Amino acid sequence: MDGYVLGIINLLAINCIAALGVSLFTGFTGVFTLGHAGYMAIGAYTAAILTVEHGVHFIPAIIAGGLLAMILAYLIGLPTLKLVGDYYTIASLGLGEAIRLVIENWQSLTRGARGYPGIDNYTTLPVSLGFLLVMGIGMFFLVNSSYGRAFKACRDDYVAASLLGFNTARYRVLSLAISGFYCGVSGALLAGFMSFVQPVMFDMAKSTELVSVVVFGGLGSMSGCLIGTTILTLITELFRPISQYRMLIYGLVLVLVMVLRPEGIMGTNELSLRYIKSIFRRRKKMSATEEGAR
Amino acid sequence: MDTIIQQIINGLSLGSVYALIAVGYSLVYSILLFSNFAHGGFLVIGGYICYFALRSAGMNIWLASLAALVGAGFSAVIVERLAYKPIRERTPITLYMLIASMGMSIVIENIFVVTVGGRFRALPPVIPMQPVNLFGLATTSAFDILSLVTAMVFLVGLQLFLVKTKWGLAIRAASYNLRTAGLMGVNVNRLIGIVFFVAGLLAGVGGIFLSVRYTLYPQLGMITTKAFVAAVIGGLGSLPGAVVGSLILGLSEMLTAGFISSQFRDLVVFMLLIITLIVRPTGLFGKSVGEKV
Amino acid sequence: MAAILELKDVNKAFGGVQAVKDMSFKIETGELAGLIGPNGAGKTTIFNLITGVYNVTSGDMEYKGRNINKLKTYQVVSLGIARTFQNLRLFAASSVLDNVMTAAQQHYKYSFFEAISHFGRWKKLERLTRGESMDLLERVGLADRAEQAAGTLPYGLQRRLEIARALSLKPELLLLDEPAAGMNADEVDQLNELITSIHRDFNLTILLIEHHMDMVMEICPHIVCMNFGAKIAEGSPDEIQNHPEVLKAYLGEEE
Repeated sequence: MDGYVLGIINLLAINCIAALGVSLFTGFTGVFTLGHAGYMAIGAYTAAILTVEHGVHFIPAIIAGGLLAMILAYLIGLPTLKLVGDYYTIASLGLGEAIRLVIENWQSLTRGARGYPGIDNYTTLPVSLGFLLVMGIGMFFLVNSSYGRAFKACRDDYVAASLLGFNTARYRVLSLAISGFYCGVSGALLAGFMSFVQPVMFDMAKSTELVSVVVFGGLGSMSGCLIGTTILTLITELFRPISQYRMLIYGLVLVLVMVLRPEGIMGTNELSLRYIKSIFRRRKKMSATEEGAR
Repeated sequence: MDTIIQQIINGLSLGSVYALIAVGYSLVYSILLFSNFAHGGFLVIGGYICYFALRSAGMNIWLASLAALVGAGFSAVIVERLAYKPIRERTPITLYMLIASMGMSIVIENIFVVTVGGRFRALPPVIPMQPVNLFGLATTSAFDILSLVTAMVFLVGLQLFLVKTKWGLAIRAASYNLRTAGLMGVNVNRLIGIVFFVAGLLAGVGGIFLSVRYTLYPQLGMITTKAFVAAVIGGLGSLPGAVVGSLILGLSEMLTAGFISSQFRDLVVFMLLIITLIVRPTGLFGKSVGEKV
Repeated sequence: MAAILELKDVNKAFGGVQAVKDMSFKIETGELAGLIGPNGAGKTTIFNLITGVYNVTSGDMEYKGRNINKLKTYQVVSLGIARTFQNLRLFAASSVLDNVMTAAQQHYKYSFFEAISHFGRWKKLERLTRGESMDLLERVGLADRAEQAAGTLPYGLQRRLEIARALSLKPELLLLDEPAAGMNADEVDQLNELITSIHRDFNLTILLIEHHMDMVMEICPHIVCMNFGAKIAEGSPDEIQNHPEVLKAYLGEEE
C-alpha cells in the first residue's frame, strides 16, 4: 500500500477518534454542539508546544493535550450546561470561536494566526490506530454500560431521568468532559500528522464537520459515527482535486440527511451480527410478501 | 470626549445593523422555536445581488437595494420550502431543522465560493462615506448615520407591520402558539413564508451595509454569529430584546476597539455571551418556558 | 403506624394562580391511598411538589419525619420515593428492558473505570441489574417484549412498563399519576389487580391519583379529595361518596 492510501487511513483514524467523542455528547447525551473544534485545537497546540519547546515525548504530550481539553471542557460545561436546547448550541458556537480567538491572539505562546510549524511527525499509522483501538473499545464499553443508559436517559427525557435518580446536569458535564478528551487527543494526533497547526484548522467549519459525520452516521450509534466518518472522509479525500467542493458536500450531506433520513445511516442501531441478520430477514420477508402478492 | 461620542455613534450604527439581522433571526425563532443558522446566508445573498446589480447591471443604488432585499427575502422563502418545510411537517423535533440550517448555511456560502469566487469585493462607492460634523460635538461618517437611520426606518416599519396589519397580528399570535394560530384559521405555511421573507429582507439590508463596511465575501455571513449572540443576550424570541442586545453588542465592540484594542473586540462579544448565559440564561427579555410535568 | 408522608399547610402559587392552597394530609406507612378531584384541581402539582419538580411557596412536606421542601428531583429516589407520570415518560426509543434497567441500575452502581474497561464488578452487577429487571418485567407481564422499543407498545402496556420501571427503584413510597388513564373497564380491572398485588408483595405505600372512580373506591381505603387546589374532603370511600362538597365538585350544585 502506498503512502497516499496509508495517509488517508491515518487521517481517518484521527477523525474517528474525534467523531467518537462528539457522538457521545451529541448522539448519546443529546446535546448539540457547534464548538468541539475548540477542544481539538487545545489538544493540538498543547501537544505541539510540549513536544517542540519542552522536548516531551509525544505519547504523554498527546495525553496531556487530551487532558487539558477535558479540563477546559469540564470547566466550561459546569456553568453552560444548565442551558437548554438552542441556547447551549449558540453558547458552544461562541465558545469554540472564543478558544480559536484566544489561540490566535496569544502570539507569544502559540505564534498566532500564522500557525505553529515544525512539529515532529509522530503520528505514524500504528500510533493513530493504536489510540483509536484503545479509545474506541473504551467508548463502546462505556455506552453499553450503566453510564450509557444514563446518558441516553438524559437525552430522551431529562425529567424522567432525574426522577429515576440521575443528576442530569452532572451526566451532561461528564459526557462533555469525555468528548473533550477525545477531541483533544484527536487534535494532538492531527498536529503530529500535519507537522503544522493553524487556528483556522479549528474553526466553525471544522466543528460543523464533526457534527455532520455524527448526524450522517446516526445520532445514537457509535458504529454509525465510525461508518459516517469513513464515508465522508473518503469522499472528501478522494475528491481532493475538486476540494473547493468539500465543504459544499458536507453542507449538502447535512441538509439531505435531515430532510430525507434524519436518523442517519444507522439510526440508533449498532452494527452487530444481530442487526445485519435483521436486515436480511426484513429483505426476505419483503420479497416473500411480494411473492405472495403475485 | 470627542472620541467617546464617535465610538458611541459607531457602536450604535454597527449595533443597529446587527439589530436588523438579530430581529429577523429572533422572529423566526419566536414562530418556529428553532435557530436558523442559515440566516447569514440571506445576508450574503442580499450583498451579492446588490453588488452585481450595481456593477454588472448598472442600476442605481435604490433599484439595486430593492433587488437585493426582494432577492434575499425570496431566497429565505426558498430555503424554508426546500429544507425546513419537509422536516417540520414530519417531526416536531427542532434539532433536525437546526442541523439542516447549519447545512444550508454552508451550502449557500460555498455556492458563492465556487461560482463567484472567495475574493473580497468592494461595493461601488455609491453610499456616502464622507465625514460629517455632528453639531460640533463629534465627527462621524455619513455612512454610520445612514446605516443607523436606515436600520431604524426598517425596524419601525417592522413594528408597524406587526402591530397594524392582519398578518402582523397573525405572526404575533403564532409566536405564542403556532398550532393554535393555525386552528384559528391562519394559513400556517403562508405565515411561515411571510416570516421568512421578512427575515430575509431585513438580513438583506444588513448585508448591504455590512458589505460596505467590511467588503463583500462569501464568509461575510459568519458575522451573523454575533447577531445570534445579540439575540441570545436580549432573549431568544424577543424582538425588543434582539434590538437591545444588538445595540449593547455594537457599543461594546466599538468601545473596546477604540479604547482597549481591536484584537479584543471579538473576544468581548463572546465574553458578553458567557456572562449572559451564566447570570441570566434566558437573556434580558426572554421568557423561560417551563416544561409541563 | 408512623406517617410516611405528611403535608402541612402546603401552598403553591404560580404568579397569581394559587395551584395548591393550605393542603394538609397524612399518609401512614403501608397505606394504599387515593387522591382525587376534578381536572385542574392540583393533584399532579402535589406530586410535583413532593418530588421536587416545584418548590413550595409555603408550608412543609415531611417524609418519614424529615422535611423534604428543599429536595432536588434526583435526590428523591435515594429517599425511597418513585413516581409515574400522567403523560407517560418512557424512553420511547429504548427497549422495554433498557427502560427498566436504567432504573434498576441505581442499586447496582459501579465506577466509571469499571464501565470503560469492563474490569471489576462490571459483569456481575450488569447481570444482577438485568436479572432483576427481567423479573420485574415478568411480574407485570412484559417479559416476552423485553427487546421491543418502548414507544411501540400498546398504550396499556406502556403504563405497566412505567410502573415496572418505578418499582425497580425499590421505593418505599410509590406515587402513581393516573395509571389507568385511557384504559377500558377490563384493563382497569387488570390494573387494579396489579396495583393491589404489588402493594402487598413489595411492602409499599402507594398514593394514587385517578379519575376512574370505581377503581379508587374499590382499592383505596383512604381517599383525599381536592378541588381548586384545596382539600375538600378526606376519608373512607363511603364517606367520600356521600360528601356534599365532593358531589358539588364533580356534579355541580343542585339547581
